[in-house]
Amino acid sequence: MFRNITLGQYMPGTSFVHRLDPRVKILITLVIITILFMVDTVQGYGLVFLFILGAILVAQLPVRFVLYGVRPLLFILVLTFGFHLFMNEGRTLFSIGPLVATYEGAFRGFTMAFRLVLLVLGTSILTLTTSPIELTDGLENLMSPMRRVGIPAHELAMMMTIALRFIPTLLEETEKIMKAQMARGADFETGNALQRAKSLIPLLVPLFVNAFRRADELAMAMEARCYRGGEGRTRMKQMKLTARDVLAGMAVTAGMVVIGVYL
Amino acid sequence: MNRISDKIIEAENLVYSYSSDGTDVPALDGINLSIARGEFVAVIGRNGSGKSTLAKHFNALFLPTSGAVRVNGMDTKDSRHLWKIRQTVGMVFQNPDNQIVSTTVEEDVAFGPENLGVPPDEIRKRVDLALEWVGMSEHKRHAPHLLSGGQKQRVAIAGVLAMRPECIVLDEPTAMLDPSGRREVLDTVKRLNKEDGITVVLITHFMNEAALCDRVIVMDAGRIVMDDAPRNVFSQVEAIRRLHLDVPQVTQLAHELARSGVEIPLDVLTVHEFADALCGSKLGSAQSSSGEWM
Repeated sequence: MFRNITLGQYMPGTSFVHRLDPRVKILITLVIITILFMVDTVQGYGLVFLFILGAILVAQLPVRFVLYGVRPLLFILVLTFGFHLFMNEGRTLFSIGPLVATYEGAFRGFTMAFRLVLLVLGTSILTLTTSPIELTDGLENLMSPMRRVGIPAHELAMMMTIALRFIPTLLEETEKIMKAQMARGADFETGNALQRAKSLIPLLVPLFVNAFRRADELAMAMEARCYRGGEGRTRMKQMKLTARDVLAGMAVTAGMVVIGVYL
Repeated sequence: MNRISDKIIEAENLVYSYSSDGTDVPALDGINLSIARGEFVAVIGRNGSGKSTLAKHFNALFLPTSGAVRVNGMDTKDSRHLWKIRQTVGMVFQNPDNQIVSTTVEEDVAFGPENLGVPPDEIRKRVDLALEWVGMSEHKRHAPHLLSGGQKQRVAIAGVLAMRPECIVLDEPTAMLDPSGRREVLDTVKRLNKEDGITVVLITHFMNEAALCDRVIVMDAGRIVMDDAPRNVFSQVEAIRRLHLDVPQVTQLAHELARSGVEIPLDVLTVHEFADALCGSKLGSAQSSSGEWM
């Protein structure tokens, strides 16, 4: 039942976007996020949207699949739109009792919701085209200068790696414990929310106990293999910036700055 | 470094105790032991006999409460030698899932050399070589959770090999595997010992595995009670039984037969030896090295 969950939904491929250096992709994503909070016009949103759509096409990702990624956001989108619709002063559009919807509110609500959609689309291109390992390595590399101000870049990356490594293992274990409990008459599916939450306790307790035992053993295995933090550690895979990476990064940044400043 | 050429691991009056409810419980109680370079040693003993605790002293995961453990002459209590010791004596644990760190096989094998600060090109070479050694080259980009238990243990062995150790300590590496996984792992370990001369210390509770080593150390209640060639250990069927251990099935069979009057030597360890002994002739003793592990 958990097999179809793939974290970050990475879709392997060989497109231009896939082959970009993960650090460049992370930085481009940050630029897009920043710009999205700067633009305030329909043209601005439109251009960013076109760029994101273009990137999806270049990455050879199924457009429909990427757009579906916004679905979990639907509730927040409606809520955002609703709040803006009724909370802004301006020309009256319609009114329900004391609530007055305005034209300005509708516009603001729509742009805010669209901004959220673009944020999700932009970041999902990153996770869809970059494997978790590359993503972790990229983040570690980008954060490493911040070690001097006390941000444990290596430790954070190691934690992410271990989490990624153990997600499938723990899901498998959850399934095993669930089946064991069901074989002894446990019921995870019926009853109201509270009852179902209660029935999860006999599932979570062994899962947590096992997870701690695993952590203990893993720590010992890591120590046995000379792990002593990031100090003096080398990596087998070196990330190399190519001219292509630099050009792509600069072109996108320049384009986004123009949009951000003028629109 | 004062290097003693033929002894790789030495324990001297090793005592290790932990406190439980305020009283000190000795898990190891005066162990004296030395393991020679290139030896293939099995350590057996029932649960709680201290065999696993002893193994963890061999690469300074545990430090002696009193007495000393030396690896290549380096005292494990001396923190300056810690990383050199752990590189010299690699360790493979029981649960294959809980010792694989990375999300792909090759990244995991690279973990050890990365920690040692080996240059990237050299790591690449070591990883490829180690994976070839254990026969896992074609799986190098796979995610570890998709492998079988035996394959995971072979990856763990490759991870140790990539650190270029002189000795490998395996702590019940086959306890959680099915018979074919056990065979895979033990064949790999045996080959490492015979072909590369790597010293192997195998903690196990499978007597058939112990029977095929050069030397068997039997532990009970934190002490070494027997330390001899497998033939001399397992022929003492009664003594082994008193320690709540088994002898290999064929040895037991020989023992039973001898008791009921059949003339048969008591120190047979494998099916082939048994067949030879029973028929009094060398029945096609073509060794079946892999079959014997079972």
